[in-house]
Amino acid sequence: MKKQYFVCIALIALLSFGSLPLFSQGTKDAAVDGPMTIDLWYGAAVTEAGPPPADWVGFDIIKEKLNIDLKLTTLPSNESDQDVKIQAAAAANNLPDLFMVRRDVLTRLVPQGLVAPVDDLYEKMPTRTATHYNEVSRNHAKFGGKSYGLADPGSIVKNEGLLIRKDWLDNLGLSVPTTTDELLAVMRAFTFDDPDGNGKHDTYGYGAFQEVNNYEAWPGRRLQPILGAFGVEGTWDMTSDSAGLNILKPEFYDAMAYLKKMADEGIIDPNWLAYKKDDFRAAWKQGRFGIMREQNAAFAAQSNYAPFDKNFPDGEWVIMDPVEGPKGHASIGPYTAGFRIYAISAKAVEEGKKDKIAELLEWMASDEGYFLLGWGVEGVNYTKDANGVPVANGLPNPDLAFSGPVGQTVTQLRNMVFYNGDIELYARYPKYTTATSKKEMSALEVLRKMQTKEWTPAVGSDMLPIPNADLKRFYEQGLSEFITGKRTLTRTNWNTWLAEFKKLGGQDWNDKGVAFAKENNLLNE
Amino acid sequence: MAERTAKQQLLRDIKRHKSVYALLAIPLIYYIIFKYVPIFNGQIAFKKYMALDGVLGSQWIGFEHFKTFINSYYFVELLRNTLMYSFGKLVFSLPLAIILAIAIYESNRPILRKTVQTLAYLPHFLSWVIMYGILLALLAPGDGIVNDTIKLLGGKPIDFLTNTDAFPWIVILSDAWKEMGWSAIIFIAALMGIDPSLFEAALVEGANSWQRVRYITLPSIRPVIVIVVLLRLGTILDAGFNQIFMLYSTPVYSVADIIDTWVYRQGLLEFQFGLATAVGLFKGVIGMFLILGSNRLVKRFGGNSLF
Repeated sequence: MKKQYFVCIALIALLSFGSLPLFSQGTKDAAVDGPMTIDLWYGAAVTEAGPPPADWVGFDIIKEKLNIDLKLTTLPSNESDQDVKIQAAAAANNLPDLFMVRRDVLTRLVPQGLVAPVDDLYEKMPTRTATHYNEVSRNHAKFGGKSYGLADPGSIVKNEGLLIRKDWLDNLGLSVPTTTDELLAVMRAFTFDDPDGNGKHDTYGYGAFQEVNNYEAWPGRRLQPILGAFGVEGTWDMTSDSAGLNILKPEFYDAMAYLKKMADEGIIDPNWLAYKKDDFRAAWKQGRFGIMREQNAAFAAQSNYAPFDKNFPDGEWVIMDPVEGPKGHASIGPYTAGFRIYAISAKAVEEGKKDKIAELLEWMASDEGYFLLGWGVEGVNYTKDANGVPVANGLPNPDLAFSGPVGQTVTQLRNMVFYNGDIELYARYPKYTTATSKKEMSALEVLRKMQTKEWTPAVGSDMLPIPNADLKRFYEQGLSEFITGKRTLTRTNWNTWLAEFKKLGGQDWNDKGVAFAKENNLLNE
Repeated sequence: MAERTAKQQLLRDIKRHKSVYALLAIPLIYYIIFKYVPIFNGQIAFKKYMALDGVLGSQWIGFEHFKTFINSYYFVELLRNTLMYSFGKLVFSLPLAIILAIAIYESNRPILRKTVQTLAYLPHFLSWVIMYGILLALLAPGDGIVNDTIKLLGGKPIDFLTNTDAFPWIVILSDAWKEMGWSAIIFIAALMGIDPSLFEAALVEGANSWQRVRYITLPSIRPVIVIVVLLRLGTILDAGFNQIFMLYSTPVYSVADIIDTWVYRQGLLEFQFGLATAVGLFKGVIGMFLILGSNRLVKRFGGNSLF
C-alpha cells in the first residue's frame, strides 16, 4: 500500500509541476544586485528578417551601461495577431514590461488597470522627449486625463500615392485622367484595349485589396482616392460643420454607385475582394492593372521595384493627382499623425521597473543608441558618407550591411529610435539604378512627390470610438454586398439599409464619435 | 478483502504491462493539464472577468454572456452556418473517405495504391494558409485556372471565393480534398481487420466486386463508421475555424461567419474573454448532449455504441 501511495503522490507532484506554469502570472522579481530584466515586445522593423541574434552587441552594451538584461520578443506582423497575443497575455495578467500596442487595444487594457500612466516619464527622458513627443503625441494615448502610452513617431504621413502606368497611357494615346469620368474611360481602355500589347485580355484598370482600419473603413485604404472624389474619404468627416460618419452622407451613395460601376464593368481587377496584401503587390508587379494606390517604399524601394523592373523594363508608373469628382472634390485619402505606441504594464511598475525603462528609452535616443539600433555597428554594418548619412558602402563584409538580410536583424528595434528625421530618410531610401531598365529611382523622391498631392486632414480620427464587432460586420458586409450585387443598389435600398445600420448602433456610434472629436478639439474648420 | 485483492490485481496488471501504461501516461497527462485543469477557468463564462482580479476574484454576473451571445444580431445566422458546414463536411467528407479507403484496399496494384495514398494524405499536412494560396491560384476570378478554363469554353468567370452561392461549396469540397486521405486511414485500418476468408468464400460463391463491398466490406466496417460519426457529432459546433478564417471575406460573411469566427472577433479581439468562454461552454454542452443522445440511439437500435 505504501508503494501505491508513493506512486500517487509522485504522480500528483509531477502533474503539479507540469501545471505550475499555467497558473504562473509571470512575475519575476528583479535581482537585488544583478541586472534588472526588462521584457520588451516590439514590432519588427523588417518582418522578413529574424530577430537580433543572441550575441548582438546591443545586449552587452545595455547590460554594461544600464544594468538591464533586455529580453526581446517579436510581435506578429499581422495587426490582428498582434492584438490577440497582447490581449491573451493581458487576460493572464502576464503583460511584458514594455510593449508596442495599437490604440484600440490600449483602450481595452486601460479600464482593466493593466497598463501604467506614463506622464511622469517625459521629464525623465529629455533627449527622447525633444525628438519623439509633442502635444499631439501626448494626447494620442490619453484616457481620462492621463497618458497611458508613449506615442512614438510611426509611419511617415501622406506616404502613399495614386499611381498610373504611363507606358500604357502612351501605348493607347491617352493622357492622365483628371476627373472621375476620365478615370472611367482610362480604366475601360486599360481593361479592353490591350494596353500592354500582348494580344491577351489580361489587364484591368484599377487594382486594390481590402485594407481596412478604424479611420479608413470598408472598402478601405486602396479605394480612398475614389471615395475622395466624392468627398467621403475616410470613416469620419472631421470638419466642424459636417462632422460625422461619412457613410451617412448622401455623397457616399454616389461613391458606391461609381464603385459598383467599376465592378460591374469588370474594370477593377475582379480578384480585389480575394486578394491579401501580398497578392495585390505581386499582381501589380505582374502587370495586371494600371492604376493603384500604393505606399512609397512598397512601390519604389529597390527590392520591391526589382520584379516589376525585370518583368517590364519599359514599364513606367507615375504619381498622379487624385481625380476630381462631380462637385470638384479630390483627395488621395485621409491622413492622421501615425504613431507607434509603447505601453508599460502596471505589473512592471509594481516591480519597480518604470525608471529603468525610462533609462533604457532615453539611452536609445542618445547618439550611441540611435545609431546602434538604427544601423548597427559603424564599420561592420554601415559607414557614414560625407554628409554623415549611414550607407552600406565600403564594408569589410558586405553581407553584414544594415540593408542586407543578415544585417537587418540588428536593426529590428530601429522603429523605437527613428523619428523620421532627414538622416533616417536619406539612409532608408537611397537613390539607386534599377538592374534591368537602368532607371534612376528614389523612394524618398517618390515620397516627397506623394506628399505634395491633395490629402484630407483627419488627425485624431484614429482615436474616435470603434464599433462593436456586429456593427462592424453589418457595415462591411452591407457595403460589399451592394458592390457585388447581392443587394441591389438603389436609393430606396440604400436608405433602408442605412436605417437598419443606425438602428443597430450606427447612429450611436456616429454621435459618440462626434462628441469625442468635439471634446478633444479634433475637428478642422 | 475482496477489494484489496482487486487492487492487488490491478497493481499486478500495471506492473505486468508497465510499458503500455507508460505510453498511456503521456496522453493522460496531456489531457489532465490541457483539458481538465482549464475547466476550472471555465467559471469566467459566468463572471465579468478582470485580469487584475483573476479568475476567482472577478465578479459573478450569471448568464449575462450567454444572453449576449444568444441575443447577438447574427446568432441565428451563426448557428445556421456552423451547422451547415459541420453537417456538410460530415455528409461529403465521410463517404468520400470511406470510398477512398475501400478503393485503396481493393486495389491490387501496389505502386498505384501507394501513390494514391501519398497524394491523398499530402494535403492534410498543408496549413490553410498554403491551401488558400492554392485555392486562389485555382479559383480566382481574374486568372484562376478553373476560371481560365471556363473562359476558354466560352463561359463567364465565377467569383468562387466571394460569391455567397459558391462559397459554401468551396469550403466543404476543399475540406474534403484536404482531409479525405487522412480520414481514410482509420477505415483502411478497419478494412485490414476483416477476415480474408469472407472474401474468399464470396469469390467461390461468384460474388462480384460491388457485391463484396456491399455485403462484406461495408457491414464489417460499420462499427468504425458509427464511432467516427458519434465522435464528429461531439464537435458539431466546431465547423473549422482555421479554414473559414483564411477563406472568408466581407462579401460572404452572410454564409461564412460561424460561431468560432464570431468569437474571434467579438471575444478575443474585443477583449471579452468571459464571452468567448461562455460560447465555448455552450458548444461543449451541446456537443456532450449530442454524443450522449446519439450514443443512446445507436444502443437502442442494437448498433456498436461508444460506451
